[in-house]
Amino acid sequence: MSNAEKMLTDHSYDGIQEYDNPLPGWWKWLFVGSIVFSFFYLMYFHMGADGRSVLEEYDTAVAANLRQQFQEIGELKPDHDTIVKYSHDPKWLVVGQSVFKSNCVSCHGTEGQGLVGPNLTDNFYKNVSKIEDISKVVAEGAAGQAMPAWKNRLHPNELVLVSSYVAAIRGKNLPGPKGQEGKEIPAWDESVTENEKPAPTTPAGKG
Amino acid sequence: MSASAHADRTDERSHDAALAASGPLEEFRYDDAIVRMFSLATVIWGVVAMLVGVIIALELVLPDLNFGFSLLAFGRLRPLHTNAAIFAFAGNAIFAAVYYSTQRLCKARMWSDLLSHLHFWGWQAIIVAAALTLPLGLTQGKEYAELIWPIDIAIAIVWLGFFGGNFFMTLATRRERHMYVALWFYIATIVAVTVLHVFNSLVVPTGLFSSYPVYAGVQDAFMQWWYGHNAVAFFLTTPFLGLMYYFLPKAADRPVFSYKLSILHFWSLVFIYIWAGPHHLHYTALPEWASTTGMLFSVMLWMPSWGGMINGLLTLRGAWHKVTSDPVLKFFVVGITFYGMATFEGPTLSVKSVNALSHYTDWTIAHVHSGALGWNGMMTFGMIYWLLPRIFQTGKLWSRKLAEWHFWIGTVGILLYIVPIYVAGLTQGLMWRAIDDGGRLQYKDFVETTLVLMPLYWGRVLGGVCFLAGMVMLFVNFVMTWTLRPAKYEDPVYTAPRLSSHYVDEPAPESKLQGVLNMAKWLDVWSQMQWHRRWERLAGLFTVWVIIAVVVASLFEIIPTFLIRSNVPTIASVRPYTPLELAGRDIYVAEGCYNCHSQMIRPILSETKRYGEYSKPGEFVYDHPFQWGSRRIGPDLAREGGKQSDVWHVLHFRNPRQLTPGSIMPSYDNLLTAPLNFGTIQQRVQAAAFLGAPYNRELTEAEQMAREQAKQIAEGIVKQNGPAGLEDKMVVAVVAYLQRLGKDLFAPPPAASPAAPAAPAKPVATTASVEPKEKP
Repeated sequence: MSNAEKMLTDHSYDGIQEYDNPLPGWWKWLFVGSIVFSFFYLMYFHMGADGRSVLEEYDTAVAANLRQQFQEIGELKPDHDTIVKYSHDPKWLVVGQSVFKSNCVSCHGTEGQGLVGPNLTDNFYKNVSKIEDISKVVAEGAAGQAMPAWKNRLHPNELVLVSSYVAAIRGKNLPGPKGQEGKEIPAWDESVTENEKPAPTTPAGKG
Repeated sequence: MSASAHADRTDERSHDAALAASGPLEEFRYDDAIVRMFSLATVIWGVVAMLVGVIIALELVLPDLNFGFSLLAFGRLRPLHTNAAIFAFAGNAIFAAVYYSTQRLCKARMWSDLLSHLHFWGWQAIIVAAALTLPLGLTQGKEYAELIWPIDIAIAIVWLGFFGGNFFMTLATRRERHMYVALWFYIATIVAVTVLHVFNSLVVPTGLFSSYPVYAGVQDAFMQWWYGHNAVAFFLTTPFLGLMYYFLPKAADRPVFSYKLSILHFWSLVFIYIWAGPHHLHYTALPEWASTTGMLFSVMLWMPSWGGMINGLLTLRGAWHKVTSDPVLKFFVVGITFYGMATFEGPTLSVKSVNALSHYTDWTIAHVHSGALGWNGMMTFGMIYWLLPRIFQTGKLWSRKLAEWHFWIGTVGILLYIVPIYVAGLTQGLMWRAIDDGGRLQYKDFVETTLVLMPLYWGRVLGGVCFLAGMVMLFVNFVMTWTLRPAKYEDPVYTAPRLSSHYVDEPAPESKLQGVLNMAKWLDVWSQMQWHRRWERLAGLFTVWVIIAVVVASLFEIIPTFLIRSNVPTIASVRPYTPLELAGRDIYVAEGCYNCHSQMIRPILSETKRYGEYSKPGEFVYDHPFQWGSRRIGPDLAREGGKQSDVWHVLHFRNPRQLTPGSIMPSYDNLLTAPLNFGTIQQRVQAAAFLGAPYNRELTEAEQMAREQAKQIAEGIVKQNGPAGLEDKMVVAVVAYLQRLGKDLFAPPPAASPAAPAAPAKPVATTASVEPKEKP
């Protein structure tokens, strides 16, 4: 402290004097550190690396949440009964719809009415004759991958639920740009082997 | 800059010669009457601001406390509280500090007594006008910038014309060669507040008391928080640092710790602060680059802020024994400590991931009160107690003991206030984001997250009452010390030589470095900051550098925000409000709904699950002013449209607790009875059209259209078994507005423009994640 006394400047303002003390080292280096940190932060988040923007992180969180929600229904099998069951479950149809909207609308249209891909709301199908064929087409693709295989890109449950959604929009007969493709097939066989009636669900509508 | 300073230093004339060049002795007196006036105003408005604070704190636990008077509802009184605390209490404290210290630091009386008085009375008139207009719902709807445009013009005149003019002319006529650091901070205050106030307040008037800001949506939000954050910087920080630099060494009778630190933290503070505003808008529709810039500059701001704290606390080295006995120093020590805590918390809150939790919660409220009560309040109290014996020439306070009591009850009051509110903020933030094992919101009903806060809100009331009690003690001490004043104030005459125009700076120090490059020697000399000494005697140059620092930093953010079109991608389906909706929006703004309801859904999972698809920049292009809000005392309303029926809203306005038990929203029964003024709707539409809303039929038939829509809504309400006769009442306009909120994003694009799809790339999450709201 005595050192500080020696370092008094010759300034005096209304009697107020000032020491000529140097900047505290920790202060100086934390200041420099905060500037250096900023450069690294900027590089990490804003140099275009995948998955680091706010919206990308959000999409990841939404996807993870969808998976978490599936814990309730366990792992679904892409078989006849399961697809039929969930095609009547409004709560899970919403999830199927969301998968459809994130992955399928660019070819099949926002409502499934068809775009470059076939109309999914009429009774004509190219690669489907039974309800469980839907999930096969979704999983493996079709038409030489004009319809891509989704089995590695979708959660198995998402695969089943989007199949249920596609099954459910049949019959809406929305007018699409391409007209009828493939052959007309009979209505879905909705008989369920076990007594797996669609569970009573809370209506998604608002009271 | 340093080049010319360097050139000066080559001139090797002696320092003594410079001193000998001083002009003839002059006599002058200090104007302490104006300091007495500003001090009194500080104390009176302090009581008012804190009393209103206690009232609105009570309204949050007793929502019917306004007894149905809209004049006294939370949404209208909260702006009164914030404006009174900032501009009336802190404002007058700043002026008292500036007028007392500037005269002494300049060895000059304030340049013009007339300007001093115009400043004082002008400012008090502005405060009175604010206190009358805000409860009447006359507001611009932007936080801390609510005052209507005629008052805004008065502020610009009084602030820059009267206060700034007087201050800078006093600098120009000073008899002290160099400007002390307190004056630097005053310069920065006057310059920056002028720039901020003027550019945030640009409006298109729609009447004598009403206007729309020229900015819309994202840009309005950006400007508002550029202003709002820097109001904290240049109204609540820099002038109080100036205050500290004068009154603390005076009261402690110790030299300031470090001159070099003063220089460095002053310039870094002034330059860096300006950039930090966007940290108020993390995760919003503001472009991410701006948000990141705001965060990083806030992080960099940590040390510049702490420079002030260090210089304050270390100035007390060797004087700590005085702190135990002197209430003035006690106030200063606690004030500076709170400054240090708040300026560490600020950068912390600006970190995006922290902000994701804290934003919209009471954490923000706790943060600003630790700053406002702890830093601004305690520094002001310390200053006033120091001033009282001097400006009233009594030699001592009426009661030192009462001042001690004020210190303790004030300190306890701050803690009683902020601790429960920090807890409230964390609690609510964590409840909002809680997701259960099934991946769904754990607390689906918003009001659940409000009810748990009630005991904490009572704690705040108690803390507020303590702090107010301390304020009243100061008022009593003020008045009683005044009664001890002499029959006639002494008005001593001081003498000092006039500054000669000729001055030679001290020569630059020699570098002690040896065996290094010249560049290193030059840097060594530069880092000793002798060059800054020259700036300190050139007030004009100094001011120009401050203006450059403030303006350049501002333009770096403002220009890209306004010019880069991709910041706000157009959404074809977003249409302007109908005339009735526009009128309803203006009522929403006037009632101050934004004080409790945000309209900005962030892309955060728990948030889109609760409220719906996150908000897009293009959704707000017709929003003058933006109404994103900063605090969710009630739920977000960005996607309120269509969530409830019209009759639900009507009944909810009449009695919120009937439909949502535990709701703390006041009743807006008056909206069901007050007539809607259809006559002004055409004017509103015209102003909106002027600001870019593409209207057609509305330009001539706005009133007719509004009446048609109102009739339609009123009939619908009757069909839904609601009350009849609402077609000419305010409530239909507000309902029309609320039912429109957030719907355009999902509307089909207008047939005329079949261009790009209007909806965003991924409307996915919406359907997937919005859960049906639980009905009471």
